[in-house]
Formats: sequence, structure tokens, C-alpha cells
Amino acid sequence: MSIGAGRGHKHKDPHAHTIHQPGARLLRGVKLHFVYKKVAGHGARSVNESLNLIPFIDFLLVTVIFLLMSFSASGEITVDQNIKLPGAENVETVIEAPMVAVNGNQVLVDGHLAGSTRAIEDLGRMQKVDELFDLLKRKREMWKSFHPNKPFPGVCILQVDENVPALVVKSVFQTAAYAGYPNISFMVKKRGGPGGGF
Amino acid sequence: MGGVDVGSNGGGKRNVNQEINMIPFIDLLLVTVAFLLITAVWVTFSRINANAQIPGPPNPEKEITPQTPEKVLHLHIKDTEFSLVWKQGATVVSESSVPKPEQTGKLFIKYSDLADKLGEEWKLHGGHQDKSDKKVDQAVLHADNRLPFKEIIGVLDALYNQKRPMVLDGKEKKVPVFNMSFSVR
Repeated sequence: MSIGAGRGHKHKDPHAHTIHQPGARLLRGVKLHFVYKKVAGHGARSVNESLNLIPFIDFLLVTVIFLLMSFSASGEITVDQNIKLPGAENVETVIEAPMVAVNGNQVLVDGHLAGSTRAIEDLGRMQKVDELFDLLKRKREMWKSFHPNKPFPGVCILQVDENVPALVVKSVFQTAAYAGYPNISFMVKKRGGPGGGF
Repeated sequence: MGGVDVGSNGGGKRNVNQEINMIPFIDLLLVTVAFLLITAVWVTFSRINANAQIPGPPNPEKEITPQTPEKVLHLHIKDTEFSLVWKQGATVVSESSVPKPEQTGKLFIKYSDLADKLGEEWKLHGGHQDKSDKKVDQAVLHADNRLPFKEIIGVLDALYNQKRPMVLDGKEKKVPVFNMSFSVR
């Protein structure tokens, strides 16, 4: 409704062209009526659509359950980055034991240097690796002092690179046995079966 | 979104159906998924057993009685074949061989024929086949000093392929029929 209408003179009011009936002003420039109705929100159907989130929640729940089942609380076993482990099918689960890593250049016990692979190869025959022997012997004595009433299990795990020659493997194997670890396991990647990496 | 519908209450002023906001729940699930994906361990490591067969210190309280030596399988890894020799002390009981297949270009070494032959040999000559027997047969591996470790693991994998039931702590378990040790010369 405009102000000043009356006396039969519609356009005599000086404010008649500036004051208009209240109402929506935005998007009046849209020419097509049905488009204007859509964009200005005056259409019969709302442009807001609600998504059904139930399948999404179901998917997330299944993912969480799968990941929780495969979650390892004990953490990842550290493997020397320079070592490429061979694969095997008939394997057992890894147990807590001293780790002897043998790569192309070094022998390491739990990350500490314990000998040179090159030196064993250069000698060309089986030998006792003295640093490795001392380190393992110290570990054995430490274990015995912490567990005085328990029999020593004598288990150690060798992480050997797949291309290391048998001479080095045998030397490390025998050294570990002489140091009081006769039950030696070789770490491998599990091949095939459930939980197989490849 | 999630809601609780208790049906129409027949003319009550306030609606009793309540909407539950699921967004925080989805957020929690997303954060859990992200955490588990980051901490997931995709490569599983395992182990293959061996035994150095080093005898412990002699027990002075036990009387030592001479025993007949057990049959031991000597497995020789040669360039073109595997030689399987059963020995009882110094006496050769049986001898056989399996051709060694070419493994070049393969990602992982597997000797299926050797595994089958080892199973047959154990059934013929194995000395510990009873369920109640806690001991396993011994295999001695003879490998050239230059042989790469992956080939040794391939042979060990074949050696541990054959399993037998064993009663341990009142339960029956499947255990490998051989225990392996290296030959030292």
C-alpha cells in the first residue's frame, strides 16, 4: 500500500515514487518467474535436502570394528631398514627375545653394533663373532640377574637380509648358540594365509 | 537423522518424538578410523625355528647310559638338486634326491617338490611319529657358504611344511615334524 493515495489524484503525492509496499526486494531482477521462485525460496518444494546418514554410519562402524580387530597393542616390531626379509609360509608368531640384525655390512644386537658382515665374508670360513658373543652373553647374564628363579629360555631372533651369504648366517648362528642362545629363530615375512602380508 | 519415535500421543501439545544429533557420533567414528588407520600394522612378521643342538652342561646326578643314535636327516643343498640322506650314527640308512627348480625372477622362493618328498621320507623313516612323543626328528642342513639366505629359508619352509599332531599340556597341536640345525665343518 502506498502513502498519500486519495482525492482522486494518484500521482500528486511527491513521495509516491519512492515509498513502496513492504515485501521482498532481493532477486527481483530474475526475469523468469519459476526460477525466481526457486532461488528466492518461494517454491513449493524446499531446496534443502536432508541426506540419509545411516548407511554412512554403518560403513564407519564396520571399518572401525575391522581396524580394531587387526589393531596390535604391542606395537610394530622394529626391523632394520637395510634388511629385506625373505618370505615363508610355515611360520610361527614372533616372541619377545633379543633381536640380532644382519645386513650386508653390519651385525647389530637391538640396534647396537656387534660385528661386521664384510669381515666374516673376507675371512672365508666360519668364525665366532666376538663383539656379538660379548653382547649376547651380557644380555643373558642380565636376564638371569632379573629372573634368578627361572630357567633361561635361550631364544634369540635373527633378522637376516635375504641376500646375505650362508657363511655369515652360520657364523652368527653358532656365535649366538655359544653365547647361550641355542633356540634361534629366523624372522621372515608371513606369506599367504590369514594376516599374510603378500 | 536419528530419532526416537514413541508413537502418537493423541492430542498432546508437545511432540514426544525427539531427534538425536548424530554429527558428534560421526565425528567420533571418523577420528577413530583415522587413528586406527595411522597406527595400523600392515606387514606381519613371523619366525622360523632352528636349533643349534648344543648340549647343556652334564648333570652329575644322572647316570649316563649309552643310547642307540637316532636317525637324522642330512639335507644337502646342491646347485641342481637336493640330496636327502638318512643316517643312523655313521651308517647311511637311505639316500634320495629331488631336482632343484630354477627360482630366478620369482619374488619368493618355494620348493613344493622338496616339501612333498620330505613328507614322504619322514613317513618312511621318521622316528617320532606318535602323538604322545614330545620329540621331533632332527634335520641337518648342509649349505654352501655362498648360498643366499633366501634359499636357506626356502628349504626351511619346505622342511616345516609337514606337520604332525602332538599332545602338549593336554591339548593336541600340530607341530612341524623336523627340527633344523646347520652342519658345521
